[in-house]
Amino acid sequence: MAVCVAIIGKNNSPKFFTCLNPDEELNFQYKVLWSLDVVEEKLNAGSKGGTDLRELYLGMLYSLETHKIYGYVTNTKIKFIIIVDSTNMALRDNEIRSMFRKIHAEYADIVCNPFYIPGEPICSKSFDINIKNIMTGTV
Amino acid sequence: MNKHLYEIPAVIVIFYDLDWNDPLWSEKMIECASRVQSMRAALEDRHTRITVVLIQNTLSLPAGEDLLASERAIALCSSCELNAQSLFVLPHGDHLQGYAVRLENAFYEFCQNIYHNEAKHVKSHKEHLNKNTHQYLYVRHQFKMGMLYELKQDVHTAHKHYTHAYNNLLEIRIVDTNALEIRTVAGFLNYKLCRLMFALNLPRDAISQFKAHIDRFKNRMGFQELTFEHYAWLSKQYSVFGDIFDEAVKLGLPAVQTQHPGIYYQQAAQYAIMRKKSCQELCSSVIAYPHPDPLEGANQLEFYGQRPWRPGKVTAEPPDPQVESNGIHAIQFLEKQINHSNIIIALYGLAISQYKTYRCPRTRRHLVLQMADEYYNSKDYGKALTLFTHMLWDFRGERWWEILSQILDKALKCAYLTANVQDYVLLALEVLCSLVTTSLDEKRRVYENLNRILKKQIPYGDPKLPQDVLQNAIILWQPVFSSQPLNFSLDMANIITCVETKARFTKSTYEVDQNVTVEVYIRSTCPFPLTFTKVSVTVNTPEYSSEFAVTNWENVSLNFHSFEVKRFVIEFMADANDINKEIQIGAINILLGNQAECCLDLKYTALPDANDNHVELLHFKYTGNNKVDFANIRPLSSATIVPRDSKLNVECIHPQPALLGEWYEIKINITNDEQFSIKELKIELGLVEETADVEFSLKPAGQPQKLPLALGRTDYLDKKGKYSTNVFLVAHKLGKYQIQIKITYTLNSDKPVFSIKTENIVLPVVQPFEVTTKYLSMLMCEIEAFHVEEEFAVMNYVKCLSPWPIVIENTSFKFISPVKSVEENVTSQLTGKMFNEEEVGAELNLALCEKSLLQNINIGQYTIKWKRQNGYSTTTQVTMYGLTCEWMPVGLKMVAPAHGFVRTPMVLSYCLQNRSRQIIQLDVSVEASEAFMFSGYKQLNLSVSDNTEDVGIQQDQLRALIERSVPTHLYVMPQVKGEPVMQTVYAPKKMTVVN
Repeated sequence: MAVCVAIIGKNNSPKFFTCLNPDEELNFQYKVLWSLDVVEEKLNAGSKGGTDLRELYLGMLYSLETHKIYGYVTNTKIKFIIIVDSTNMALRDNEIRSMFRKIHAEYADIVCNPFYIPGEPICSKSFDINIKNIMTGTV
Repeated sequence: MNKHLYEIPAVIVIFYDLDWNDPLWSEKMIECASRVQSMRAALEDRHTRITVVLIQNTLSLPAGEDLLASERAIALCSSCELNAQSLFVLPHGDHLQGYAVRLENAFYEFCQNIYHNEAKHVKSHKEHLNKNTHQYLYVRHQFKMGMLYELKQDVHTAHKHYTHAYNNLLEIRIVDTNALEIRTVAGFLNYKLCRLMFALNLPRDAISQFKAHIDRFKNRMGFQELTFEHYAWLSKQYSVFGDIFDEAVKLGLPAVQTQHPGIYYQQAAQYAIMRKKSCQELCSSVIAYPHPDPLEGANQLEFYGQRPWRPGKVTAEPPDPQVESNGIHAIQFLEKQINHSNIIIALYGLAISQYKTYRCPRTRRHLVLQMADEYYNSKDYGKALTLFTHMLWDFRGERWWEILSQILDKALKCAYLTANVQDYVLLALEVLCSLVTTSLDEKRRVYENLNRILKKQIPYGDPKLPQDVLQNAIILWQPVFSSQPLNFSLDMANIITCVETKARFTKSTYEVDQNVTVEVYIRSTCPFPLTFTKVSVTVNTPEYSSEFAVTNWENVSLNFHSFEVKRFVIEFMADANDINKEIQIGAINILLGNQAECCLDLKYTALPDANDNHVELLHFKYTGNNKVDFANIRPLSSATIVPRDSKLNVECIHPQPALLGEWYEIKINITNDEQFSIKELKIELGLVEETADVEFSLKPAGQPQKLPLALGRTDYLDKKGKYSTNVFLVAHKLGKYQIQIKITYTLNSDKPVFSIKTENIVLPVVQPFEVTTKYLSMLMCEIEAFHVEEEFAVMNYVKCLSPWPIVIENTSFKFISPVKSVEENVTSQLTGKMFNEEEVGAELNLALCEKSLLQNINIGQYTIKWKRQNGYSTTTQVTMYGLTCEWMPVGLKMVAPAHGFVRTPMVLSYCLQNRSRQIIQLDVSVEASEAFMFSGYKQLNLSVSDNTEDVGIQQDQLRALIERSVPTHLYVMPQVKGEPVMQTVYAPKKMTVVN
């Protein structure tokens, strides 16, 4: 179960942000912001290799005392960030990976929605519910 | 530690001036020995090694050869009680450096031995120790050994001993009373270990050692009352580790983004904050320093980390509660005196610089914010405000509105508390923006404060701020409004505000006599109504910038409700000086407040937002009932002023294409179709691409003029008036030429407007005709070579290529030597003929060549004088290139009547000519064809010379001569009826030999 999910646009502005405990949102935003540094660094290192078919899943970005942060970047440089409680041992790498894949699918759906304008923050309610479900693992 | 580092030497070196052959040898030896003795006495029982170095002026011989030297050396050693190895000689000669290095190595070796022995000595103590009673000593001994080995520069062994010491230390049970001591010692050991591991190039081990160390001691708080001490220790651990790490990085250790010193400095800062918090909790009640001073003698303690009020006591003894609490009070009191914020800020500073090095801009920003928070906490609002405003920019750029809102809130407080009006207003405008997520109540408060400032009233402070702070702020605010009207110019270019603007030119080009229109759209996203006093636009031209105020006041008010968009129009006349220049909207200025009290000049740039990359998609956005779709207005911030579109009608009449070499006439007719009469009309003609192949003139066949050519001018032309002129040109090369006609004039309207009209003509130039030359023999057969003195015909064909009919006025041949014409009265056969396209005319002229030629050379000019129908006559010269000319010694010519009659005799005479200087012998035979009978010589020999071979005529040359000179056929007409008139019968003539 993740505690926070963020979708960051290609110019590093947040498009979607949700976390289980709304009081901690600001704190999580800072955490996501830190991890963006690592994402940028990884992307820069990746682009030097010149491989187009790179792995979208970036793995663990930060391991803090309380939380672990995972990252995933689509080919269009949309970044997905998941924050997991570091006490949560049930989540393996594979689960995180599949969680990202589900979020990616949800994101693809929302982009296909003609009422959504790419680049704008996502405010769809159903999207929020779907992501929350993915976070809590009820899907 | 101090003892070993600074007080006890390992080796003592006594330098003494003494030569082996010194005259006062024995006295000096005794003096030296006494020095050594006194030194030894001073050292007591330490294991320090004493050595003596003799500084000598004379160069000594190799060892063993100088008997005196070795003898005296032994004597010296014995008198000083030294062994022979401790005596050195330093000759004061040329190669001082070499000797110095050798001495250094020797001393180094001694040191190492000494420390090794010391360490062994310490180790020998170990046997006497008991694990249960001497736990502390175990640690002490191991540490000592580690230290000694480190001094010996044996890093590996030192590391081993430190590790042992650390492990021994971990075995000690930690209770409140000894927590500080163990923590301190563990800190030392950990520092040593990590340092050595970095030195051994084991950074991973160092980091994991440090992490394990922190994990072990994190929860060993010690006294509840002294938690801050624990946090101070943790903070110190982190910052020290950061230092070691940083040092290692400077020595070449590569650090990465996720593992670098900055992380540790950041942690250190975090613990420093916790220290501060616990200090605030625990020390607030302590007011006075207890008496008597329980901390007396804190610096002279024998062991690190023990409490001064119970030095050297073992844990087992029960502490005296009164002394204990006094001591704690004293420490708490001292803690309270410390400026924590400074420590925290310094640590943040270190961390920020590290994060900057390791490319973590966002983390760095976060740290800067925390630093700003700390400044805020330490009541340094000015610095905090500076940091906050710097950070706002980045978050704005990346659109983290929530974080931005939080920062704005803090920054606004800082601005309020420092009474910084300009920043306060700027931040207030930003807070009121719809994107900022501050609560509506808060926004209302800010809005009211903004209005108060506009009325020169002190704004209300945040009710959440403590009272005394507010009091100070109000005192600061008072002088701000006492001065004259406040005027601020605020640059809104880089911030998001509650007022958004867009400006655009309605067209990308404006003609000089048109009004330039600028549309300004203003949207207020403030949740409360806003009223402006003025809207204007600054327009920049390359030379100057000017400000234009909104012109459509009447129908648009300057009151804005929430999310209202209004359109303002600004119109002005373009300046004629700006023709072909770009004008730009430099800024949009909105005036808020009134001039008398407080007035804010909000300055926006007109440049489009570079961040929007999917502007097209905004069309899908639902804009509600707003009339103006603000999001979809594309700013157009620059426009070009162009000359006005001329309504002059220019007609160029000319029969295309031009023919090569002719004077070609272009007629230009200008009709004034403008609304007004015009004056100062000038016509200029030029070529688009400069070339020397075309010449212009005002008259046919006139003097070529320079370009651009002024074709004509008139001072006045009526409405519907006409003006015409013409120009002549001659092209010397084929091709296409672009001719530009530029007409400049001034319009006779209310405001004289200068106008330009250009007209381009594309003119192809073609050849009028083509001349081909053929050379024929007298028998009208084409020949391949001329022969000297033999006549030939020059046949010129003129093929007309021009689409227009061409009249040939005259033609003439002009031969140059050695070719000459053989015709006396030449009249051109083509004169007066007219040719249409593709028609061919031919002309023949007889000529002969007087000299043999080996090359096809220029034999003359063929001149054609021609013109178009109704055109101007032109002369074209064509060069004729001849054939090679061969020399034949023999010439042959047959003279025959034009025709003969059946059964009527006619005379054929063959004329043979010898052109050489020799006599030629020829065999001539004449054979009749079947149709003829003939009389005369049938076969004869001619003019026999002495030697025939010299002339060198080949038989086939003669045959060719006959073929080209003797006609093969003759017309024979039927016999006329009646009496045939006998033609003159030639009497057979005697052959004469031409000399």
